[in-house]
Amino acid sequence: MRGRRFAFGAAAALIAAAIAGCRVNRPPNDHAATQTLYSATVSDPGTFNPILVTDSASGDAIGDLFESLVRVNPRTTLFEPGLAESWAFSDGDKTLTFHLRRGVKWSDGAPFTARDALFTMRVIYDPKIPNSSVSAMLIDGKPILASAPDDYTVVVRLPRPFAPILSSLQFSILPAHALATAYAAGRFNHTWGIDTPPDRLTALGPFLMTRYVPAQLLAYRRNPDFWMRDEHNGRLPRLKGEVRLIVPDQNAQYLQFQSGMTDVYRPRPEEVWPLEQAESKLNITVRKVGIDTGSLFFAFNRNPRHYVRQGATDPRYKWFTDVNFMRALAHAVDKRGMIDLCYRGLAVPAVSDVSPENKIYHNPNLKDYEYDLKLAARLLDEAGYRMIRPGVRGDPDGHPLVFNLTTNAGVPVRDQMCAIFKQDLQSLGITVNYRPLDFITLVKALESSFDWDCVLIGFTGGIEPNDASDFLRSSGNLHIWDPAEPKPATAWEAQIDRLMEAGTTVMDPYQRAPYYWQIQQILHDQLPIIETVRQVTYIAYRNTLENYEPTVWGFYHPEWIEFRAE
Amino acid sequence: MNARAAIASPATRNVAIPERRGLWAALGHEWRVASLTVKLSALLLLLFYLFAAASPIIAPYDPAHQWRELPDCPPMRLHLAPRADWNQGYLCAWPMRLDVPLARHYAEDHSRRTFVRLFDRGHLFTTAPGDPPFFLMGSEGLGRDLFSRIVYGARVSMCIGLVGVAISFSLGIMVGAFSGLMGGMTDSAIMRLCEVEMSLPSFYFLLALAAVIPSGLSTTATFFLIVGIMAFISWAGFARVIRGMAASVRSAPYVEAARALGGSRARLLFRHVIPSVIGFAAVNASLSIPGYILGESALSLLGLGIQEPAASWGNLLSQAMDPQTVAYYPWVLAPGLFISAAVMAFNFLGDHLRDRFDPSNSG
Repeated sequence: MRGRRFAFGAAAALIAAAIAGCRVNRPPNDHAATQTLYSATVSDPGTFNPILVTDSASGDAIGDLFESLVRVNPRTTLFEPGLAESWAFSDGDKTLTFHLRRGVKWSDGAPFTARDALFTMRVIYDPKIPNSSVSAMLIDGKPILASAPDDYTVVVRLPRPFAPILSSLQFSILPAHALATAYAAGRFNHTWGIDTPPDRLTALGPFLMTRYVPAQLLAYRRNPDFWMRDEHNGRLPRLKGEVRLIVPDQNAQYLQFQSGMTDVYRPRPEEVWPLEQAESKLNITVRKVGIDTGSLFFAFNRNPRHYVRQGATDPRYKWFTDVNFMRALAHAVDKRGMIDLCYRGLAVPAVSDVSPENKIYHNPNLKDYEYDLKLAARLLDEAGYRMIRPGVRGDPDGHPLVFNLTTNAGVPVRDQMCAIFKQDLQSLGITVNYRPLDFITLVKALESSFDWDCVLIGFTGGIEPNDASDFLRSSGNLHIWDPAEPKPATAWEAQIDRLMEAGTTVMDPYQRAPYYWQIQQILHDQLPIIETVRQVTYIAYRNTLENYEPTVWGFYHPEWIEFRAE
Repeated sequence: MNARAAIASPATRNVAIPERRGLWAALGHEWRVASLTVKLSALLLLLFYLFAAASPIIAPYDPAHQWRELPDCPPMRLHLAPRADWNQGYLCAWPMRLDVPLARHYAEDHSRRTFVRLFDRGHLFTTAPGDPPFFLMGSEGLGRDLFSRIVYGARVSMCIGLVGVAISFSLGIMVGAFSGLMGGMTDSAIMRLCEVEMSLPSFYFLLALAAVIPSGLSTTATFFLIVGIMAFISWAGFARVIRGMAASVRSAPYVEAARALGGSRARLLFRHVIPSVIGFAAVNASLSIPGYILGESALSLLGLGIQEPAASWGNLLSQAMDPQTVAYYPWVLAPGLFISAAVMAFNFLGDHLRDRFDPSNSG
């Protein structure tokens, strides 16, 4: 008896010691003292080479290391000076002269000059180097010619006036002195992989990478020679360092933010309310960032290659190219229901493929298709799609309306949106077979086998409307409903092609806008895709952070972010 | 002559079966000797199979109907209706109202009542068509009645075991008994084949097979494909055990005698070998049903099982994967309770059957 009690006492003492030990050993929450911002990211980078980057994880990892000639002001969505102090158009908008910033130094001490810009363009245009910048830098298939009359001037000559040129030239500038040898030796595709020691990355951005531990973290320290100064000529960036933890599980990220391990967190819709409740307890601010800049839509396959088999055309081809059928379907998308059920009300109905956050190019005059199943049923009846037996609607030739719906697996929100759409179409007598596919299989179906009927898929969006040309032009590879058409399949697709062309010839953004508004109107009327909803994004951050100004297009003045001195 | 008489004589039959009884009398006897746990298990399983057989009657609503204004609604309390309203039904509940949509907080709306009508319009209990719904076990993320979905889900989850076992055991018994009886090269060939099949990493194999199920298949077809895949994975191990038993029976005097008397291979197999292993098989079958139920829920959890909007206990439970959801809406775990109850009941019942009928385990 005595022995047991002693054992119990010993165990209790051990537990107490362990608890006390935990308390002592827990790292103090000293992010403010060291001016180090902790955040979490979902996945590991794939490369540190800014030209070879194709995934967002790599882009985020080195985003603060490199700079481009021009920057975008996320508030105005207009261009601002970057490494180029100023620029001017001449020769009927066919010549663009950049005056580069003097005194900018690479992290190894070498000066930044026009040679770096020209070297980077040569790398991008090299057919042996796969990169995603090149497609935006071809004007009617021809490269842009650049020359450097002196070390701090770059002159760009265009074959014709090309409005998106500043957006196209937003590539990260590479250090010519550090990479020219590797490039000349044909080793560029293998330089600056993720096995490169971070201090060997020659950079000139606000931060320099100090450490990368795969599957754990990325650490940065501020670049002491960064060119930017604040209004009192003070040094920028104000943060001394940054740490990005690599945490694949979103639930774990949420818990880490709550426990103080990270300072910022982008909550999912269901997490916004609990975080708002805990604002004072956790000493955080939950702030609305804005409306998603991408577009999430149901696309319908209009690709004849999918439907014409052995001379016979599948009836679905007729339905999906019948605008009356598509209009009825557009009236059957319960956007309100999707917003309330899938996003807790933190979303807005999407009408156009351009987000309202794109203030200049978003067409505000489109009228949404109201959710009205009775109207949808009437439209179907009028177009000849009548009930052929109870619960089953048929097309004018008597084929029952059945099609497959897919999306990428593992995204609960998309599952729910598809379930809502399926249920509403079921009540109209249209059978939808829903089966999500894993991402690789889905991309294969969309890009090469074309074996799909209807897909719920999202595209990211940018400020420059011409960036969507691969999606909008009939010859584009991302022209999802019928990729790479040899010639426009319909009159309205030809019209979109013409408008895309015309939109690039006018230089002023406000004069360009009407062309893109008209394209949105055509898509809205012809309905090759049916828009759904756009999430309203939120961000939560510690109250000790100052000048923290997130927007959907990135941070406004990120170099000014700092922790308030305690 | 003598040998034939000996084979036919009842004295050589398995002594464990005392005398011939009617089926009902035998069941009655089994019921009396069973323990309380076993009785409860049997009743529970009967109830679940009743769910499966009579789901349209037992479920109060269409399992796919979405009350889009009532997502993640908590279970509702049932009250006895005031006497004045008894013409509408004896039971009632307060309808729920979404109080804070962002938080999904619900409040009872005390200004109205939903009357729960028993035996109404072909349902065990339901509410009038225009009335707010009554959620016995709450609703899930799309506002569908969880109880109705569980009842319909029983069709998949309770039947997957039976169908799967039927497939894998008939295959396993046939192949195993045949292999054991034949011996020699045939035996070796079949057993090596079984070993190859068993050495496949089964869960990955299951995932791979489930991933290639083409889209556009009906729920029923998907169901049978999944059962088929799971049965295909599990028959080999069973065949090996049966083969061992059959091989030991092969040299038993009565089989030797039957062979000596010119019994055909088929006759040996069906009259002598298979009956000797069938008791063991039945016991094992009841013990392997839970494996199918859990296997289906694992597949559904990964999104490869029965697809929305059809319900199975597994895909209903997949909602509970997110700890947040469980914390705020604990009733989404209800399908998990049903899964564990069914698995436990099958295990108790299987154990009991083994004690009663498997002679090799009688020690």
